[in-house]
Amino acid sequence: MSVLLYGFEARERILDLFEEYVGARLTVHGIRIGGVPRDFDPEFVQRIGKTLDGLPRTLRDIELLLNENRIWKERTQGVGVITAAEAVDFGLTGPPLRATGVHWDIRKDVPYSSYEDFDFDVPLGSAGDVYDRYLVRMEEMRQSLGIVRQALDRLPDGECSAKVPRILRIPPAEVFHTIEAPKGELGFYIRSNGTDKPERVKMKSPSFINLMSLAHMSRGNLFSDVIGILGSLDIVLGEIDK
Amino acid sequence: MNALERLFRKIFLVDILTGLAVTLRYYFSKKVTVPYPEKVLPPPERFRGILRLCRNDQGEPLCIACKACQRACGQGCFDIEGKREEGAKAMKPVKFDWRLDRCSFCGLCVEVCPTAAIRFSREFRLSTLDRRELAFSHEEMYLEGESLQNRLCGACRP
Amino acid sequence: MMSPWLADGLIPLAKILAVILYPMLMVIVMIWLERRVVAWIQGRVGPNRVGYQGILQPFADAVKLFFKEDIVQRRADRFLFNISPVLVMFSTLLAFCFLPLGESFRIGDYTLNLWVARSPVGLLLVLGLSSISVFGVIFGGWASNSKYPLLGALRSVVQVLSYEIPVGLTVLTVVFLARSMDLVRIVERQQESGVWYGFLLPVSFLVFWISAIAETNRAPFDLPEAESELVAGYHTEYSGMKFAFFYMAEYAHMVLASSLVVILFFGGWLPPFPGLKAFAFLGAIPGFIWYLVKIMFFLYLYVWIRATFPRYRFDSLIRLVWKWLIPLSLVNFLVVVGLRYLL
Repeated sequence: MSVLLYGFEARERILDLFEEYVGARLTVHGIRIGGVPRDFDPEFVQRIGKTLDGLPRTLRDIELLLNENRIWKERTQGVGVITAAEAVDFGLTGPPLRATGVHWDIRKDVPYSSYEDFDFDVPLGSAGDVYDRYLVRMEEMRQSLGIVRQALDRLPDGECSAKVPRILRIPPAEVFHTIEAPKGELGFYIRSNGTDKPERVKMKSPSFINLMSLAHMSRGNLFSDVIGILGSLDIVLGEIDK
Repeated sequence: MNALERLFRKIFLVDILTGLAVTLRYYFSKKVTVPYPEKVLPPPERFRGILRLCRNDQGEPLCIACKACQRACGQGCFDIEGKREEGAKAMKPVKFDWRLDRCSFCGLCVEVCPTAAIRFSREFRLSTLDRRELAFSHEEMYLEGESLQNRLCGACRP
Repeated sequence: MMSPWLADGLIPLAKILAVILYPMLMVIVMIWLERRVVAWIQGRVGPNRVGYQGILQPFADAVKLFFKEDIVQRRADRFLFNISPVLVMFSTLLAFCFLPLGESFRIGDYTLNLWVARSPVGLLLVLGLSSISVFGVIFGGWASNSKYPLLGALRSVVQVLSYEIPVGLTVLTVVFLARSMDLVRIVERQQESGVWYGFLLPVSFLVFWISAIAETNRAPFDLPEAESELVAGYHTEYSGMKFAFFYMAEYAHMVLASSLVVILFFGGWLPPFPGLKAFAFLGAIPGFIWYLVKIMFFLYLYVWIRATFPRYRFDSLIRLVWKWLIPLSLVNFLVVVGLRYLL
């Protein structure tokens, strides 16, 4: 029960960094057309490094509390199993998909945003149950720490944003691109018609699609397991309700 | 880990004891709670507090009533009217109504303002008991600190 | 010669009062302790504004619950609905009559016994009385006329019934060593043996402790009343003072279970290492102080365990007791008997 709060406290430390960078905790709006809003100063880079130094300790504590815990294992191993083929059929993406053993990570398979310059692994599970999803997420957190450190070491000099006109007029075209969000594959479809307002914007939200497999995963399990399975899918209801 | 070690760990509740040891360490470590309101953590420099209009070093208002903020705002918080006086170089606002209850603190108005007249302050104590107090007029947009707090329901402040 | 007014009138009256006040006082301490300790483990501070360090928080809770509206469902069974909190509280408090708090001491020529009643089968009585509280749970769940309380009550009943068996079997090993079911005599026998039974019977102690946690519906065995699983289990539909009774009775039951563990396995009011001359100086501290210290340790342990572990799913809980704890306690009993006759 305390694990929740340990995780939340670590999350708060990261959100404090966001608040310092741009003034808002969650609505950072840090990646925009043309670049990023502002540059880092060296003290801020140091503070990021310090926060990163404290995170592996918390991850280790959570692992000590959960990984080998017999109650946790009894509650999560063999629960909410989905096979790799079924997962692909349901359109599952993100950690739940990788926990079934399917190697599909947009950062590696369709690299964007200079991800190809970074050195990191993609953790894969095998059983496709709640326990494997948990392990995949924990390992992904560690890998992300590595990516951030590499990025901090290689911060380039120069302008942080290109010169973008105040009002963008884009020639008629359509584009669809997905990124690897923590919940799964987040995609945007945009169609322009030559004016400064888009004609159609559609968001492919991973939580909505991942949620569809809940019924399939719950089959054969107890009622108390539904909570665990829902938690392991890690949905954001805002994405689903949109 | 061979079967014997696994059996040992199972019988002697090693995982249970490890978990108890972790929580015991947290029991004796420093707590993260900050006793508000006795101690108030200062918000960071770029914190998005309430929007304020600003003056330049000479004390003159920076706003030139260009309505860029009104156009940028997606929520319709602004209602601005400006007038250019005889012989003056720039316009001055005669009406600058801003609504706190519609503001989503997105910062688009701050970004587009050509003179940096409208900026975020670091004031986050913005609660009132009367919704009518959430509409600000032109002069009230310059209030800060104590006078802002008094304007926003001074009765319910400690 | 002590006046009969005192010996037969005032002192028994004071003891009856104590039997009500002592558990209630422990409940008040427990409410505060639980919230503070769980908060400290989670890196927070816990209630610290109501009174010095939040010590008046339980009173604030009690006042709040007192003023809440007492809701009874229209189609609920009124009699059972009203009587179940009373049953739970009553049976738990009654069991406290048989718990000794320390050794008797003499005032003049009068021996003051630190218990209300002493029976040659005191242990059996305590276990039996604490089992009556199960009735309160069933009545509460049934009378609420609502599916979540009913499910919670059924689960709770199955849990408590199943875990009574290892309790009985492990307690049997203690009775076997002590040759008596009298709680006072068991402590005296530990003094004569010079060692607490917890060291002689570690498996019994462990199984008894796990079963005690399950009996009191505490984490990690608290599925019948967990919020995320079943709204609030058998006490969902209760509000105000009736809910307060369930709440307090749960804590009182915890104190009862801790007291039993201390008496049976941890020497009751004996200081550590009662047999060793080197530690005889510890006997200078009065027995009931040791008793209270040990009970507080087990209450801390209750809260510590609650803050650390996830909840057992109900079928794992039942599988644990029927497949592991009961066979283990049976084997343990045979081993203890065998060793006793061999040595």
